[in-house]
Amino acid sequence: MDGVRSRPIWAFLTGPYALFLLLLLLVPFANVAMYSLHPYSPTKVFLPELTLDNYRKIFDLYYVRLFGRTLRLGLITTSVCVVLGYPLAYFLARARPRVQALGLFLLIMPLMVSAVIRIFGWIVILGRKGLVNQTLVALGLEPIKLLYSETAVVIGLVNIFVPFMVLPIMASIERVPPNLEEAAQNLGANWYRMFRRVILPLSLPGLISGCLLVYSLSISAFVTPALMGNARERMAGQQIYDEVLVSFNWPSASSLALTLVLLTIALMFGALFATRHASRRDIAS
Amino acid sequence: MSARAPRPLLPFVVGAYVGLLAPLVFVVAVSYGHSRALEFPPPGVTLKWFKAFVPSQAFVTAFFRVSLVVGVLAAVLATVLGTSAALGLVRFRFFGREAVETFFLAPLLVPEILLGAALYLFYARLAIQASIWTLLWGHLVICTPYVIRSVTAGLVGLDPRLEEAAMSLGATRVQAFFKVTLPLLRSSLLSGAIFAFIISFSDINLALFLSGPESTSLPVHIFSEIQWQGEPTIAAASSLQIVIIGMLVLIVQRMFRLRLVV
Repeated sequence: MDGVRSRPIWAFLTGPYALFLLLLLLVPFANVAMYSLHPYSPTKVFLPELTLDNYRKIFDLYYVRLFGRTLRLGLITTSVCVVLGYPLAYFLARARPRVQALGLFLLIMPLMVSAVIRIFGWIVILGRKGLVNQTLVALGLEPIKLLYSETAVVIGLVNIFVPFMVLPIMASIERVPPNLEEAAQNLGANWYRMFRRVILPLSLPGLISGCLLVYSLSISAFVTPALMGNARERMAGQQIYDEVLVSFNWPSASSLALTLVLLTIALMFGALFATRHASRRDIAS
Repeated sequence: MSARAPRPLLPFVVGAYVGLLAPLVFVVAVSYGHSRALEFPPPGVTLKWFKAFVPSQAFVTAFFRVSLVVGVLAAVLATVLGTSAALGLVRFRFFGREAVETFFLAPLLVPEILLGAALYLFYARLAIQASIWTLLWGHLVICTPYVIRSVTAGLVGLDPRLEEAAMSLGATRVQAFFKVTLPLLRSSLLSGAIFAFIISFSDINLALFLSGPESTSLPVHIFSEIQWQGEPTIAAASSLQIVIIGMLVLIVQRMFRLRLVV
């Protein structure tokens, strides 16, 4: 055992993936950071001089509107996810094991199907000849334009991200012992009062981390707004995609991407901290 | 267990599930429908879109030559990388272990579309042509954390004294791992591998940037088809994906705790 202890086996075990991430995660983002500091030229891929113009440009009206719209749609999506996700999380956390297993399957299975396919499903439902409009026509009403609007984008985003709201809330409700609820009710609180005074405060860390997760996922969405949104009301992800692959303005795309990455990493660390903090308090009590 | 959700909650629960599952149900329904215009309800039932799928070279290539191949390779490589990383993290104590753990799960924190863009610019800088391999390396970044999570969960529930017992009976550390630990980790390994496959198989955000003309993955092909026309052939290909993924998720749930991986 002694000889084994002295050799750093952990380094052999963790080394390959660490190197891999270094090469394919850190270096590419360092490359993005570097691009973002160089000026754009339509003829040359790379100019040697340094500039902050790519970041200053974010404060132009076009980009301010772009980010404003992106952050606003993220906020709406997150709120809808809370309204739909919280009751579902509570239901799953308190369901009998069999019901819970079925409920989790039905929650996670759609999550694993490609986003493109789920959006395709919504196009079938909301499209010009889709379910909703055919129903309206059958009832003798005028068909309405549902697709290619902000509403459609929010529907698509909620559909894709609601599981990310449900899972952390569910985990934090499960940590609240059911007899705490009974105790509150035995002491005379009705269900709503018990919920407000017991469950809601104790599930707050899960709720916070769910919100941060859904928010940061939805502000970097691309496929949903690209397929369900209006071409004139775009989100930040679409702008980055176009600047990389269509207009080849890589320095500008880089500054946008880096801004968005830093924003989401900050939010994600908030989510991580909220859950860690919760489990630590759990152990302490 | 008498604490039950009150009745007024039920409409929300049912509503949420209807919203979650409706798109999948309609994709499958349209794939059997008779109309080219994605009408619903379809005017008749047919299998012609599934038949149209078979001779469509682009779909077959995207499905069998790209998505399936990259998915399987990503699953195998991510399992090797992730298992070894998880072993190092769980079975050893070293300086900076928590930082390394956070770093290893970091790919889950980075929005995929931005990772895709970053990798595209990185490959462009190195003048690497888009191929199955560029896609595979990208997928390994996002798949491996799922393996690490599932194997870590499996390892934490496993008594290290079992290995020590094997070693005190004369097995080397390597033998103890392959003869004792690995068989006991079977279900969490397989769950991790299956999830790695699913993540690669259904990924669109990285693939949009990393797949080239010869290596268009199924989701990217579906994406461009939706943008241009939206034929029910897409629905046929999509239903196929839904069925495959549904079965895989079911297998994981049977074997392992689904939530430890997701």
